[in-house]
Amino acid sequence: MLEEIFSLDGLSFRFPEDEDKTLTNISFSVHRGERLVLTGPSGCGKSTFLYLLNRLYPDNCDGLVDGKIILFGKTAEDYAPGEINHRIATVFQDPDSQFCMPTVEEELAFTLENLQTPFAQMEPRITAVLEETGLAHLRNTVIQSLSGGMKQRVATACALIMEPEVLLLDEPLSHLDPYTALQFVHWLEDLQQASNLTIVTVEHRLDCWGSFFEREIQLGYDGRIVADQTFIPRQPILFPERQSAAQPITLLLTQGLSVTMKDKQLLDPLEFSVSQGEVVAIAGPNGSGKSTLVKALCGIYKPKTGTIRADGIGYVPQSPEYLFLTQSVQQEVAFSGASSQSELNGLMASLRLEEVREAHPFAISHGQKRRVAIAAMLADKKPVLLMDEPTSGQDDDALLELFNLIDQRSREGTSFLIVTHDMEFAAGLADSVILIKDGHMTGKFPANEVWSNEKLLASHHLLAPKGVVRPAKSFA
Amino acid sequence: MNPSVKFILVTLSMLVIAFFFNPWTPLLFWLGIILLQLTMSHINWKLWLLFMLPFSIGAFGYLWTTVVFGAETGGTIIWSFAGIDVTEEQWARALSLAFRVMAFSTLSLLFAFTTDPVKFIMSLMQQMKLSPKLSYGVMVGYQFLPVMKDEFTQIQQAQRLRGAETKKYSWQRLLSMRRVLIPMLAGAVRKAERSAFAMEARGFTGEPRSAFYHPVQIDRTDWLMSGIFLILLLTSCIGGSWLS
Repeated sequence: MLEEIFSLDGLSFRFPEDEDKTLTNISFSVHRGERLVLTGPSGCGKSTFLYLLNRLYPDNCDGLVDGKIILFGKTAEDYAPGEINHRIATVFQDPDSQFCMPTVEEELAFTLENLQTPFAQMEPRITAVLEETGLAHLRNTVIQSLSGGMKQRVATACALIMEPEVLLLDEPLSHLDPYTALQFVHWLEDLQQASNLTIVTVEHRLDCWGSFFEREIQLGYDGRIVADQTFIPRQPILFPERQSAAQPITLLLTQGLSVTMKDKQLLDPLEFSVSQGEVVAIAGPNGSGKSTLVKALCGIYKPKTGTIRADGIGYVPQSPEYLFLTQSVQQEVAFSGASSQSELNGLMASLRLEEVREAHPFAISHGQKRRVAIAAMLADKKPVLLMDEPTSGQDDDALLELFNLIDQRSREGTSFLIVTHDMEFAAGLADSVILIKDGHMTGKFPANEVWSNEKLLASHHLLAPKGVVRPAKSFA
Repeated sequence: MNPSVKFILVTLSMLVIAFFFNPWTPLLFWLGIILLQLTMSHINWKLWLLFMLPFSIGAFGYLWTTVVFGAETGGTIIWSFAGIDVTEEQWARALSLAFRVMAFSTLSLLFAFTTDPVKFIMSLMQQMKLSPKLSYGVMVGYQFLPVMKDEFTQIQQAQRLRGAETKKYSWQRLLSMRRVLIPMLAGAVRKAERSAFAMEARGFTGEPRSAFYHPVQIDRTDWLMSGIFLILLLTSCIGGSWLS
């Protein structure tokens, strides 16, 4: 019989300001060495549950707990603050706000200092964990200069240096591109096998994990366990078949466009055109110049050479709230004054914004915020929309909603240029793909040509979308 | 040199110098500090001069106003110009003030230019027993600064695209900063909470720690430098009183 690590009995949890319980009647136990994933829709209390396991809750939110949480055979309340965190380590979602020291080495040392580790042991433990995690070459690197994927690895190393028995992961892949995510999963798998860690993960993008997990616990909207089952590897969500809505009218034409900043050529001269209703994905490795291109197109950066011809280009940043200037959704959409009242009403209706018409733009959900941003851009009479990483951190429902939104708008004549790492999303939606590498545009390709050309994909740090490659293989 | 020791020395010197009203003490001290800086530190002198510029102007302003508008003191008139008589005492007092400004600013710059902020906080925590909660809080804030700066430009750029016009007058621009600050603050609150969680999840409780990986120590250099500093201070105090 394997040792029991967590055991929950009739656990319920409620935030003091909420009427309803976030988690209701949760009972299960976890054994040593298990690899467990918690799934469920956004906002179902998955993260809350994780915070109950590492004792961040209920102390930090005055939440009300019913039922029993037993950690390593002792009730959770009996642990002193910080005590349990030596045995249960956590890696969070956002790679940017997990660190408090400048360099990797100092960050690791911070963890050891928290554990009151004697000075003589610090150096060897830091060296050991860096070796084990394959990060030895980054020892004196400044953390903020690392990529998101590397930051997540450093965060994991910081968790592992405590020599924990359990590792909790809170959507660790949501800010990583698929290639980096895959590497992270492989790396974690090797680590787990070497140390027999217990891993509990909260995740909604299961397709990236392959067959990593052994067991899955599904939570429903009401915070109850829906299913507790053996984990089955998932396919990415299948987007519905979609007909290209591109029409032979050119909306955007760039010629010889290049961007130079402080004598550094960020973007080599490039040219392409986008038709009305066309959906274009822009892909390439991190730091290749994708966002430079987007910013040049919408006029934030002044191009050094070349021309951009378009009737108006709108921009939806990754955080749509950056755009908001007013106190209500309605004013936000009407801000530019370029559309008549009836046009505005039509837009609000088609983007399902009428229910939040009077709400403050900061107080609505993420999906709604993005719809407000899109509505505002369309109301500005900008028929070409640039979207920067719209998929990161979205669950399946949100992705489908976004898909439908773009699909519908493109049929109504809006062109989209979407910067994305999510190849499944791009494959489902894009009519063509612009590949960029090292500030140089490789070309604009019809979408189906790109997905089957593995060489081209690999040279741009991309993975073939899973739904598309398989049929190709079965033909062979 | 240990930042905490340096900090104490700098504060002490400032307090002591503040009690001497002759022009010689601050002058001697000022020259001494510059000499110290010339011989014992590597700093960017161009930047240093640039920083000193406003202080120098300020010092001259003090000199001028004290000389011209100073209270009548009587005594020998040493200099007369366009109907303004400058007495010896006025002149001495003016010089004293001006040199004091120079000495203080040089001293502050000496500290600012030769101290690594991270090391300073670490040292405050280790030698001065500043609570880890506060020290690491400041550290996290320090890490966030570049991120906040990026965010600020991003929001500004995005809002300019919306046609949020740039205002003509600076006070109007200041008012419209609100639009940029609200999304930024909203983001900062979220970030702060996440950071706090991340730290706590790694066993940070705010308890004083028993061992440090990078102990900031007080070693021979510190004693030596403190000695030199105190001698300089003493010399300028005694020398100043003797000369006047």
